[in-house]
Amino acid sequence: MTDLRIPIALFFGIVGVLLLTVTGNHAPLTEQPVNLYTGVSMLLFAGVMAWLARRRS
Amino acid sequence: MSLGPIDYVVLALYFAFVLGIGFLMRRKVETSADFLTSHRSVPVWITSLAFIAANLGAQEVVGMCASGAKYGWMTAHFYWVGAVPAMLFIGVFMMPFYYGSKARSVPEYLRMRFDEKTRALNAASFAIMTVFSSGISMYALGKLFQLVLGWDFTASVMLSAAIVLVYTFLGGLTSAIYNEVLQFFLIVLGFAPLSILAVMKAGGWSGLQARLAPEMTHMWRYVGHASENPMGVEAFGLVAGLGFVLSFGYWCTDFLVVQRAMAADSMSAARRTPLVAAFPKMIMPFIVILPGLAALALGQMNSGYSFPLKEGGGGPDYDLALTTLMAKFYPSGMLGVGLTALMASFMSGMAGNVTAFNTVFTYDLYQSYIRRGAPDSHYLKIARLTTVGGVALSIATAYLARLFNNIMDLLQLVFSFVNAPLFATFLLGMFWKRTTGHGAFSGLLAGTTAAAVTHGLTVAEGKGGWILPVHTFPSTMAQNFWMAIFAWSICFVVTIVVSLMTPAKPEAELRGLVYGLTDVPNDALEPWYRRPLVLAAIVGVALLILNAVFW
Repeated sequence: MTDLRIPIALFFGIVGVLLLTVTGNHAPLTEQPVNLYTGVSMLLFAGVMAWLARRRS
Repeated sequence: MSLGPIDYVVLALYFAFVLGIGFLMRRKVETSADFLTSHRSVPVWITSLAFIAANLGAQEVVGMCASGAKYGWMTAHFYWVGAVPAMLFIGVFMMPFYYGSKARSVPEYLRMRFDEKTRALNAASFAIMTVFSSGISMYALGKLFQLVLGWDFTASVMLSAAIVLVYTFLGGLTSAIYNEVLQFFLIVLGFAPLSILAVMKAGGWSGLQARLAPEMTHMWRYVGHASENPMGVEAFGLVAGLGFVLSFGYWCTDFLVVQRAMAADSMSAARRTPLVAAFPKMIMPFIVILPGLAALALGQMNSGYSFPLKEGGGGPDYDLALTTLMAKFYPSGMLGVGLTALMASFMSGMAGNVTAFNTVFTYDLYQSYIRRGAPDSHYLKIARLTTVGGVALSIATAYLARLFNNIMDLLQLVFSFVNAPLFATFLLGMFWKRTTGHGAFSGLLAGTTAAAVTHGLTVAEGKGGWILPVHTFPSTMAQNFWMAIFAWSICFVVTIVVSLMTPAKPEAELRGLVYGLTDVPNDALEPWYRRPLVLAAIVGVALLILNAVFW
């Protein structure tokens, strides 16, 4: 059966990259670079998923 | 709230992926069992996440945040008392009967254990309930997106329904389960940052404690008397009503969640499904409830955030707590992720209902009462048609809810009457071989009647008392908990009495279905992390620590 971790890694990898392209956007109530932090987190998560899928295969 | 192009790109990407998973799964569907039960082939980590994701619908995400703002941290009782213990119970004790019996659905287990009429009662009520639940979820989605984004109600409903229809039609249960895992991760990664940002802005947990009333940040300290806490419930009603009857009734008997565990690739995996799911379930309050408390605290500070009010000055609009926080704390980009996560939560709930509905309809109603003995290809065709029919009925229900909100409230109330006694039937059926079909059926009818009568004799927040109001509860939540307690107790007693008066099934027919006549799987040779009892013990200890820390 298809390893679900591959599409998950792909999805969060793309979303992570997309968020990193808009790190200049800010929200009204926080000075934190939200898109940067979450983008990096999603890329890390995507990396873990891809590594787990590769390890299995 | 307005979205930027990047937000729409994230949403479109999500739609592309869920549809893509549907197309990938299509290749795996050759028989009705592939479509409706995943042919018991799904790995445990996937069934575990799907087990909780199917329950992570709109009511969970938006509703729990709203409850956090309204009732405070006591809302966590819905997880740490009202879910996790029941998940441990089904994994350790009940799954061997569900999985070992080779039943394809919960109603089918009831037929094997009891008789045809008990199955028919459960299957019919469950099928209707799932369609209405799905429709109500769809209605909530349409209404929320209309209110928050100004999107057209029909467009939101049709778009989400069409996407759920396509991926469930193509890949059946496997497609729904696989997408639920993606949706689960999206919900966690989409809402966890909001919780962190909002709580940080409110001064952390100590800041919340300093700004909110003491009963809003404790779980147990104020449950000695109903008048001391915002939920209006006391310890016994909470533990017996929510923690036992309602919680066990839902997590241990509702086919929507049990179906995910039954799709696992082995008995061991099926047992571990709810146990593994209990770990993320324990942390969900920090993601979905905590933002509600933070919103309340921020509304009392000079923070630039105002707690949303109902139109026309009708008091706080708790349902908008989550989306108003998102508008303030998420920039364009992450806002798209948050809204996509919201869409994912609606869709996972909807798909869960649709896949449970098509299995019960195809196997327990169509194959049993309309056309027996047809070739499997016929049932696969019917299952696919039922998926279309289920989605169409859900859409119709969404519009019905829009037009006649009171009818939907009434229907939900009637369903709660039906659900309340169910766990007594399963408990006796699985653990007392003397329980008979007549006993189970009479108990269910008596328990449902007891729930209705309790509602008719009591009043809470202006609801109930339609027979003769003889008691007033401080909240509808307390009324629901006590209604469930009475219904369960009456069902339990009536089932025992009628069972003792009617002939029991021969033991040979009960093998694999009842405790004492079923081989309990021996997991002594398994590594510790695969043993259900060890996993349950770890979760149990963690649960005690969480309850103690947030006492």
